[in-house]
Amino acid sequence: MFFAPSPRPPRLYSRPTGVPARAPAPLPGSEYPLASAMRRKRPRLGPGPPDLPPVRPPLGVLVYTRAGFGHRGSELAAFDALGGTDAERLAAWVTQQLQPAAIADTECDAKLAAGAYATLGKSYTQLWQDHFVADNDWDERIQPATETELATWTRAVYSKRQLLESLVHFWHNHFNVYAYEFVEGPMWVHWDRDVIRAHALGNFRLLLEAVCKAPAMLVYLDNFVNFAEDQAGYSNENFARELLELHVLGAAASYGRIPRSQVPLDPQGRPLGYCEEDVQDVARALTGWTFDIDWESWRWGGGNSGQFVWVDSLHSTEAKRILGVDLPAGRTAQVDGRHLLDVIAAHPATGRFLATKLCRRLVGDFPPPELIDSAAALWTSLWQSPTQISQVIRHILVERPEFALTWGEKIKRPFEIAVSALRAMGTGVRFYQQVPAPPDWNDWHPDFQRTASLHWMFESAGQVVFGWHPPNGHPDLRGAWQCSTPRVALWRLVNWMIETDDDGNGRFAGIVPWTLATLPAGERSANAVVDLWLWRIFHHGVPAADRAQLVEFLSQGFNPDLDLPLATNDWPYYWQDRVNSLVGLIFMSPEFLWR
Amino acid sequence: MSRCHCQTTRRGFVTGCSAAIAALAGSRFNSLAFAQGGNPNDEILVVLFLRGGQDGLNLVIPTGGFDRGRYQALRPNLAIPAAVAAARPLGSLPGPDGAVALGLHPAAAPLFDLYQDGRLAVAVACGMSANERSHFDSMTWMELGTPGVGNTSSGWLTRHLASASNLPPQMLMPSVSIGGLQALSQLGSYETVAMGSPYDFSLSTGPWSARTAQRVALRNLYEGDTTWLHQAGVQALDAVDIVELYASGGYVPLPGAVYPDTWFGDNLKTIAQFIKLDLGLRIATLDLGGWDHHESEVVNGSPTQGIFADLVDELSRGLAAFWADLDDPAVNFPNQRLTLVVMSEFGRRAYENDATGTDHGHGNNLLVLSGHAIGGLHGTWPGLREELLNEGDLEVTTDFRRVLSEIVVRRLANPRLDLVFPGYTGYQPLGVVTGVDLGVGEPIFSDGFETGDTRNWIVGP
Repeated sequence: MFFAPSPRPPRLYSRPTGVPARAPAPLPGSEYPLASAMRRKRPRLGPGPPDLPPVRPPLGVLVYTRAGFGHRGSELAAFDALGGTDAERLAAWVTQQLQPAAIADTECDAKLAAGAYATLGKSYTQLWQDHFVADNDWDERIQPATETELATWTRAVYSKRQLLESLVHFWHNHFNVYAYEFVEGPMWVHWDRDVIRAHALGNFRLLLEAVCKAPAMLVYLDNFVNFAEDQAGYSNENFARELLELHVLGAAASYGRIPRSQVPLDPQGRPLGYCEEDVQDVARALTGWTFDIDWESWRWGGGNSGQFVWVDSLHSTEAKRILGVDLPAGRTAQVDGRHLLDVIAAHPATGRFLATKLCRRLVGDFPPPELIDSAAALWTSLWQSPTQISQVIRHILVERPEFALTWGEKIKRPFEIAVSALRAMGTGVRFYQQVPAPPDWNDWHPDFQRTASLHWMFESAGQVVFGWHPPNGHPDLRGAWQCSTPRVALWRLVNWMIETDDDGNGRFAGIVPWTLATLPAGERSANAVVDLWLWRIFHHGVPAADRAQLVEFLSQGFNPDLDLPLATNDWPYYWQDRVNSLVGLIFMSPEFLWR
Repeated sequence: MSRCHCQTTRRGFVTGCSAAIAALAGSRFNSLAFAQGGNPNDEILVVLFLRGGQDGLNLVIPTGGFDRGRYQALRPNLAIPAAVAAARPLGSLPGPDGAVALGLHPAAAPLFDLYQDGRLAVAVACGMSANERSHFDSMTWMELGTPGVGNTSSGWLTRHLASASNLPPQMLMPSVSIGGLQALSQLGSYETVAMGSPYDFSLSTGPWSARTAQRVALRNLYEGDTTWLHQAGVQALDAVDIVELYASGGYVPLPGAVYPDTWFGDNLKTIAQFIKLDLGLRIATLDLGGWDHHESEVVNGSPTQGIFADLVDELSRGLAAFWADLDDPAVNFPNQRLTLVVMSEFGRRAYENDATGTDHGHGNNLLVLSGHAIGGLHGTWPGLREELLNEGDLEVTTDFRRVLSEIVVRRLANPRLDLVFPGYTGYQPLGVVTGVDLGVGEPIFSDGFETGDTRNWIVGP
């Protein structure tokens, strides 16, 4: 049992005042309900009805929903026990979560071990040899990517280090790389483990350098073929452009094709942003940052070790100027590149860009300017601190008031919907694959069948983990995720998750067994079951009309206070199916989408 | 090999929110006097966006004249042989260094058949002068219809749907976005349904015994409140209802229509299916990605093989199948009401690069496949002489809005270009489609529209 020991959870009614309990009566002429629903919806060209913000849940729920992937099990009780006031609890929780190594994660470790992910522990060289050089079948080539993807689901669902996993997710999106490719796939474990995870709560400048040296990013954005024009006759500015536009300063700091001299300066005389000439010079500064792959290493007499290498013979020796800082001529690739990274990491526009994105992830789609200003200033001031990211996260979550007071400014993206549903229903499955897959589907391990089906259904939502092709990453604004594609895909997915097989075994969780174990016999009315599951999933009230709708659905026309025969699943009422569908319905409801 | 696949791409530029809407003093559009159209317009517009920057210069190829020599000099490895391209001649255009004969890439043979039937108009050197060679900026500006401005909160197709006065009041599914998340050109459009495949677009999971009741309950949950989230949910439910009721029985194209067996082919098929279902479809968008070839556009020393050729082949077979599929007497030949525009965010560099690929460029072709096309070559050939290139790229001589606005006016009979493309003035049709040039109205409001400052100009909640 996960909630405080009381015989049954309280009835939960709460709704903001002034909201009608039901939709208005159908318009005249719409005798057929479907016809009224199909009326062409002209966009409302002017002030619409006011947005009614959903009621803010208890702080624990808010924290786990926005700084994690939704609450699970006894986490909310543990959260409440962290202090006497909300402020104390939040501060203590963030302190704990910012030291993830000190949080015991035995269940997650067990699930990772059960997954038997052979590649997660491999060294850089092993990944390179076993999965790139060996040139095996495609499934083996990208096994590091697919296993990392399974581990990502596993950690999001089972790890207690929820804030870390949230931030890892954020950085993967920020430094987006499409994983299921020729070089990126084999080296993906290195990318996830040694680049992203290693620096997720650390220092951005160090994270940047690790990014610039990783084969996954070098190939994805072409910097591995970025050479000095006068040496190789070829340079490639793809990475340099995206580095400035998407990773560091942000498009808002771009001044386009104006001459460098026309870029406005701040009071300290530093350019406010970058222009096209800066992009060219950034590309030059990063020439020769490549790795030892025989596609290109013939240019400098290298081999095929896969190791990162600075090739000075292919580095541009011209003088460069970036954001008002001179990089003198004739220096090595290492010196020029590192100097460049120092310059862009220290620039205030970088702080502003990253602060905006972090606040957008953690607070709301349009964070208030004072929050961004405050976080940005702190970010820039800490650009050389090993705990820069942690400190800025703490600032946003604890030291500023907005995080704890904001609710419903964002909606969950598909991955968050799926994972928070799995967490809320108490799943215990492992995410599993077999490489190579047996030719006949019937020979696949049931866990593999389940995992594969999950992936196929999840794909339709448009947010495949590590599967976003262009480098801008999955969008983090509600406008991108409110269209029908992800909505319908996730309705289908969560309703599939709650299904049982012919023997009544839950595909992902034992919804009915848990219900039967929690509510004593004789006390399993529709009202009680609905309240139980609303409590388990939301831990706070939902609008009374919504609750009434759920009770009506479950009770199938019977008196909602009567004990339901949930021990069986017989014709014509199929009460167990109905309970499972109730849980699916709750996961499909608008209430479950708020973040 | 890396490349920007750009299958689905969206950058969040939604700036509309309730506070901003409340700041608008009343609804601007309600007090406009729309031109009273005659018969309702039943034309269909499909916008196909080639993501990544299609190499237009290797699709529509100079085969003769001074510029042929320049083409070969610019692209020693990538140049399509003159004889090969001249086997599918498109005609010639006057140019600054004499007439230039143009031919089609061999993989585009199905498109050439359409060209010979007079169904295909090819406008050369289109684009926008505001081009930073950034995929994301260019796609955003093109799809929002506001070059240079990236935070407009509506797409150009949204604004067309909002301002068109000749559409019936009730259409089941007027606008779709097929293949992924909703296209940016339909940003802010609540009547647009986004979906991948119609077969997955259904509520067909969960215990069957509860499905009907669950459907009813779900609708009640979403209709019970009035936030934007609830409205979006109701709209999704409506769309699911329509697809499940009418489009779930499987679809068989006409015998002569052989779609490529790819995601792109499937998406075209879906659009054809919806057109034939008579749901009132007017607008459809879809993508074909993978055109960002920074390296290896050729294979085995042959520029007519390789990834570019494969994509051109997929594109051409797809469009040909789509056209043939809609040439269907059983539903009264919808291809006669169809206009399909093929566009890309920019072309590619005239010079090939050292990796036998090309980098981001500037001017590109706009293809218009239509039942009312004025077939042939259109536009102004800018020339390939060094001084005539725009930083090594084909110059833009026709603003892309010039072609799109002609379609909006002549085919969709919507004269409100001031709303569809704010800041774009001087309507001057190129002549790619037939139709009436309705009086393109002067803007009635003076705040924001002429200056093109669209940030306060919000459509929808």
